[in-house]
Amino acid sequence: MAATLDFRTHADQSCRYSEEFVNIYYDCMDKKRRNLTRLYLDKATLVWNGNTVSGLDALGEFFEALPSSEFQVQTLDCQPVHDQATQGQMTLLVVTGGTVKFEGNKQRFYNQNFLLTAQASPNNDQPVWKIASDCFRFQDWNS
Amino acid sequence: HVVRLIYLSEHDNRTGPSNRSRKGRSNKGRSRERFQRDRQRGGHGGGGSAGIFGGPGPRSRLEDTDGDIPHGKKYDKKWLLTALQNICSVTYTPVQYHVDHSRAHFYLDNATAASALHKCSHKITDTDGYKLESHFIVTDLVSQNVEVILNRKTNMEAVIKIIEENIPELTSLNLSNNRIHKLDDLSELVTKVPNLKSLNLSHNELKLDRDLDKVKGLKLVELWLVRNPLCDLFKDQASYISAMRQRFPRLLKLDGNDLPPPIGFDVETPTAIPPCKGSYFGSDEIKGLILRFLQQYYSIYDSGDRQPLLDAYHDGASLSITTPFSNQNPSRSSLGEYHKDSRNLKRVKDSTVRFRLLKHTRLNVVAFINELPKTQHDIASFTIDVNTYTVIAVNGKSRDSTLAFSRVFITVPAGNSGLCIVNDQLFIRMATTEEIRKAFVAPAPTPSSSPVPTLTAPQQEMLTAFSQKSGMNLEWSQKCLQDNEWDFNKAAQIFTRLQTEGKIPDVAFIK
Repeated sequence: MAATLDFRTHADQSCRYSEEFVNIYYDCMDKKRRNLTRLYLDKATLVWNGNTVSGLDALGEFFEALPSSEFQVQTLDCQPVHDQATQGQMTLLVVTGGTVKFEGNKQRFYNQNFLLTAQASPNNDQPVWKIASDCFRFQDWNS
Repeated sequence: HVVRLIYLSEHDNRTGPSNRSRKGRSNKGRSRERFQRDRQRGGHGGGGSAGIFGGPGPRSRLEDTDGDIPHGKKYDKKWLLTALQNICSVTYTPVQYHVDHSRAHFYLDNATAASALHKCSHKITDTDGYKLESHFIVTDLVSQNVEVILNRKTNMEAVIKIIEENIPELTSLNLSNNRIHKLDDLSELVTKVPNLKSLNLSHNELKLDRDLDKVKGLKLVELWLVRNPLCDLFKDQASYISAMRQRFPRLLKLDGNDLPPPIGFDVETPTAIPPCKGSYFGSDEIKGLILRFLQQYYSIYDSGDRQPLLDAYHDGASLSITTPFSNQNPSRSSLGEYHKDSRNLKRVKDSTVRFRLLKHTRLNVVAFINELPKTQHDIASFTIDVNTYTVIAVNGKSRDSTLAFSRVFITVPAGNSGLCIVNDQLFIRMATTEEIRKAFVAPAPTPSSSPVPTLTAPQQEMLTAFSQKSGMNLEWSQKCLQDNEWDFNKAAQIFTRLQTEGKIPDVAFIK
């Protein structure tokens, strides 16, 4: 019973974290792109429509080259990631869907998923969430 | 029919190109000469119908000089070919050597020789001090016998496909003299040839400057439009330049004339997004592992009984699904059965409901999956991205009046090189009409868990032979034969066609 209660608490917290994360992430993406890489782990990997980008420098370059965006998040879901997949590191799976309009391009539907991991922060005495993995696809990427 | 060639022309390094007269040339001759003049200025151009600079092609044409240089025909075939062979590192066999308007032509049938010959640039000097200069053209659609007019949609599509598959880094494209009257078929260039800097559309039939909007996304630095009806629409040169600059702000050269450099503001506004690619696995080893896993998973998922999926999930697994909100009456849409379980945190705010919709522990997860509507998945339509090994994002179509889905599995290694799911998130939506049209075009796999009808001995024999010939595994081979009433030749034909079209998924070849 204790395990179930723990899971309940964990699940409730995950929802709050993921809602906050999504607000911050897409706000950065659309309006403060320069700050975006601060949300990523040093060794984070992004798979963007099949293109892979790894490490903060490469991510910074990638996001700088990406046209300015307007994201509309229509669906959001999250799950606490099972301990066994993360060696006990507290981790969240956040999954979003919606529309995105990149400047100079037509509006498209997208799906995106993130793994957020809790990390000790040098600027903060409390841990912070960092993106360890990010995977993005247009829904109609090949049509 | 596309002929690729290397264009070797003689360059008179004593007199320079400006002395050449233009009288008495055929149209083809003119376009070549223009090409040469372009080259001298450091610009780009092409011969024939479409000249594309880039890598070596499988055929090569050796051209002697322009018509007005008196030494045009004087090179003896034997002398020229031997002289080339002496300095060429690869043995080449010239095909159809002939002299045409004082030009020597021949073709090569392999790319290695073409590439080697290209390197012979400036290396041949004859006794009179003339140098042979090789120019690089990859594609020429007008050869001696083949006339391909690029104003036809299919031809243009073929050209773009060739560029996309072979030289997507192409920077210069010459489509002059092709009777092109609209640019709709060229709009794909914007995404497929993003590095294109120079486009020659001169001597075509473009009537309105609006037509250029179709290729507006190109970052052109150089554009040729001379001798198109649209050029006459402008009251003066300034309005012509301004209309083109509006579409191609980085334009520095229009019809060969230098334009004043554009002065912009120091804000970068990129509009090109990286080209979309197919599945990303990271490594072949992981690819094999994951394809096997997914094939197994979905063959059970699509069978009548999903209970065996218990083996695929970890004891502490979680699962949740989301559907996009729609104004449509949910009971009327085939998504309806999923809506009630949708854990979209943008809509579901109550924490008790949120928790109820998050299925936790293996038994609950599989019991929930068992209740979901019956499905048939088109594995051929799957796009699979594998991130940090454990996250598998699958996008694909599921036949249930065709829905499309995007699914994230987080897995841990299990047992003998298998995978075990700890987290599973399914996003499911209505498919678009385009997706419905494309779905299920490749033969669907036979679910391995369904009872396999016993085969007769000749069928068994045919199956083994078909699997050997096609390289597909027994399951897919059998499916293909069954779909074609065990007619070996018919099945082989269908297989060849689907394979050429790239419609057979990788899973079919996993044995």
